[in-house]
Amino acid sequence: MKTRILVLLVAAASVVVPMTAQAQQLFDFNGQTDLPDMVGSDLTMYSRMFDASPAVPPIPLDFANFEFTLVVTGLELVTDGNPQAYAGGTVIIYQDDATAADYANTGTFTDGTAILVGSLVSLNRTMFTSSLGSVLGTVDWTGGTRLDDIAPEDQDGWAFLSGTINRADSVEPGFDEAWDGKVEPQEPIVDDEATSWGSVKALFSR
Amino acid sequence: MKRAFVPKVLVGALLPALFAVPALGQVYSVDYLGYAWETGGILPSDAGDELVIVSVADYVDPAFGVDLGTDELTFHVYGLVSGGEADFFGNTMINYAGGYLEIYQDPTRNADWGVNPPNATAPGSFTEGSLFFRGAFTAFTLFFDPSGSYGSFEGTLDGLAGSIIDDVCSDCVYTWGGAFTLDAGAQIPQGYDLQIDGVFEIDAAVSSESASWGSVKALFNN
Repeated sequence: MKTRILVLLVAAASVVVPMTAQAQQLFDFNGQTDLPDMVGSDLTMYSRMFDASPAVPPIPLDFANFEFTLVVTGLELVTDGNPQAYAGGTVIIYQDDATAADYANTGTFTDGTAILVGSLVSLNRTMFTSSLGSVLGTVDWTGGTRLDDIAPEDQDGWAFLSGTINRADSVEPGFDEAWDGKVEPQEPIVDDEATSWGSVKALFSR
Repeated sequence: MKRAFVPKVLVGALLPALFAVPALGQVYSVDYLGYAWETGGILPSDAGDELVIVSVADYVDPAFGVDLGTDELTFHVYGLVSGGEADFFGNTMINYAGGYLEIYQDPTRNADWGVNPPNATAPGSFTEGSLFFRGAFTAFTLFFDPSGSYGSFEGTLDGLAGSIIDDVCSDCVYTWGGAFTLDAGAQIPQGYDLQIDGVFEIDAAVSSESASWGSVKALFNN
């Protein structure tokens, strides 16, 4: 993935310099979920985001001075069973320095600035036992104050991955499941990338 | 009632309240994220393969008194021996035997997964500092969906040592989370097999709840 082209002024212009090892990038979250009762009803999930250093968020987030929450709403159960299939949800990452997130008041998760807004295109939820499961989905980022921090070609197809548990010790009152997961690009977002002269000229030949 | 552990910061709170009583069902948690490899790779998981996980905490319950801004908590799971794959209602289940979890508190904050483990930094940089917790797995199971791209794990442990426990405790720790492969879209350093996102939960069988003289005396009459 690339956000800017860096042209290398080297004699061996045809040699592409390999990308150096980079930190893994992800938005890490730990949250609580309301499950739908029937097909056509919606799943909602409220979560707090954490600094997963030495992994890094795909765009810089100031965890020292702000709280970040990730909220899923409107995710409709379209096929029941195991796995369940969901579609049509919205994912929003909020940045807030005023109120601490509190599961007893879900409004504390949705205040602040919506820095990224995305569409949860699809999501499967699989239960392996009566209490333990996992989800896999795909997010396309479409809005928010920080959307432009991600190049247009990098905004789609992010993985939404989570483990799920419904043990009483792990679930907050009023919720059905705890989710521990992340949203991440399939390749790291980079500021710049080395390329050959030939590749640069090819871009202008299109 | 079992006496499991006393978080460091609660010890001070408990001392003045001499008659604290256990609060059942309460747990303290640590959220962690990292990567795993298994000898010979996974999937498949062959009987006898060893699973190793190295991860870093990104959230710790305030009761533990650890500031992740100054110290890192690193997880090292080792010695989990695969019993091989089994079909479990269409999913893949792998039961492991043996195994230990060690958590270290380290102010150097130098955890580095590197590539192609074991390597110069993994697991080495995850086993530095002071021992925060050491436990022996009594059970550990990994599940995968039929595609083998995503799954979950859970395990229970006996507490053996570490700064957060004052005695051994039986089945006092539970850990669960998700396990993801490249096919699920997870970023995974070269040479690792799985991305691991999990939660460590330890029973808080001793809390700072106050109790009346009557209920305290009732404890000794049981």
